[in-house]
Amino acid sequence: METDVLIIGSGPAGIQAAIHASRKKASVAVAGRTSASAASGTEMDNYFGTGPVSGDELLSRGVSQAESTGARFLGENVITAGRRGDAFEFTLEGGESVTSKAVVIATGISRRKLGIPGEKELFGKGVSYCAVCDCNFYRGRRAVIVGNDSEAAVSAEMMTGFASETSWVVWDLQASDVLFDKAVAAGVRILRSKPKAIVGESAVEALELEDGTVVPTDGVFIELGARSAADIAMDLDVMPEMDDTIKVDSGCATGVPGVFACGDVTGRPWQVAKAVGQGCVAGMNAAAYARGER
Amino acid sequence: MVTELNESNFDSFVESNHIAIIDCWAPWCGPCRRMGPIIEEVANDLAGQAGVAKLNTDENQAIAIRFNINAIPTLLVFKDRVLVDKLVGLRPKDDIISYVSGL
Repeated sequence: METDVLIIGSGPAGIQAAIHASRKKASVAVAGRTSASAASGTEMDNYFGTGPVSGDELLSRGVSQAESTGARFLGENVITAGRRGDAFEFTLEGGESVTSKAVVIATGISRRKLGIPGEKELFGKGVSYCAVCDCNFYRGRRAVIVGNDSEAAVSAEMMTGFASETSWVVWDLQASDVLFDKAVAAGVRILRSKPKAIVGESAVEALELEDGTVVPTDGVFIELGARSAADIAMDLDVMPEMDDTIKVDSGCATGVPGVFACGDVTGRPWQVAKAVGQGCVAGMNAAAYARGER
Repeated sequence: MVTELNESNFDSFVESNHIAIIDCWAPWCGPCRRMGPIIEEVANDLAGQAGVAKLNTDENQAIAIRFNINAIPTLLVFKDRVLVDKLVGLRPKDDIISYVSGL
């Protein structure tokens, strides 16, 4: 699929960017799941003109509004990103390729930590937040991937190429059927329970689950959510800040031509009002860039 | 200038520096790519106080196994040839400088 603007993230910033990019006559596609937005499940009473409103209602209205302007919501996460000449190229969970002239990173801030006993103490001693980085150290050893979404699915499948046994702990599956089936076909053992504690003295020895299962393992790879904004940014030659935020100018440009960012991923304040303000700017400027107007 | 280490020069580098900081990395590791420029700056700032080097763990797996590296980026910290710490994860330049100053 080809589009003028690909927006990665379908929270308030991404939806507003879609509305404004579409209204500038650019073709717009939006990746990501609205249910993953930080606004989902919240109640807001500080947003202009609405009075008290649920985040989900606001998101739902925003998606309808954006679709009415022509934006297409893909409902899938981006799992790979890269540059091809002056354009950008992405792969979605279902395997489809998307090529765009401009891109808007509106992923929000992803939660990375589980917050369970043993996680902090055993970081670097078998606990990892980057399966791609550390898979090579688990050749012939046992690995457990923890997470519900696309990044966990991709990591689990990849890990089968290294580890002697790969398990995937998933308790609220969000990854696509395609990615789930790929992981199973690769030999990943699926364990459907929430993680409770990581056990070990000087190194990881096992992962305990809430259903009482104890999974002996050498490594626990915590891969929550979709591919992180920091990883996507680096794939597009944008260097993230130390806190994983992406620095932008007043036009929401990142410094790499054609790459814009908006919303929580650009830093505090984490407010819907700020997200949509930046979404407006990023959407208009991405559309102008794609149409060769700047 | 950050020295690239391998099997043939690793030990001599550790032996020839009172304090040696070795950044263990791999090309496909995003946080390692972010650590790269930080380590360059650390090397410049600590010139004369500490030797700073990089080790590609993909090409030098025996050294990674020898020091039980399970995650990257990891900074191996040697003082007088003895491994005194393994700092795991991406961290800012000031933290590394401050840590080395306290050795």
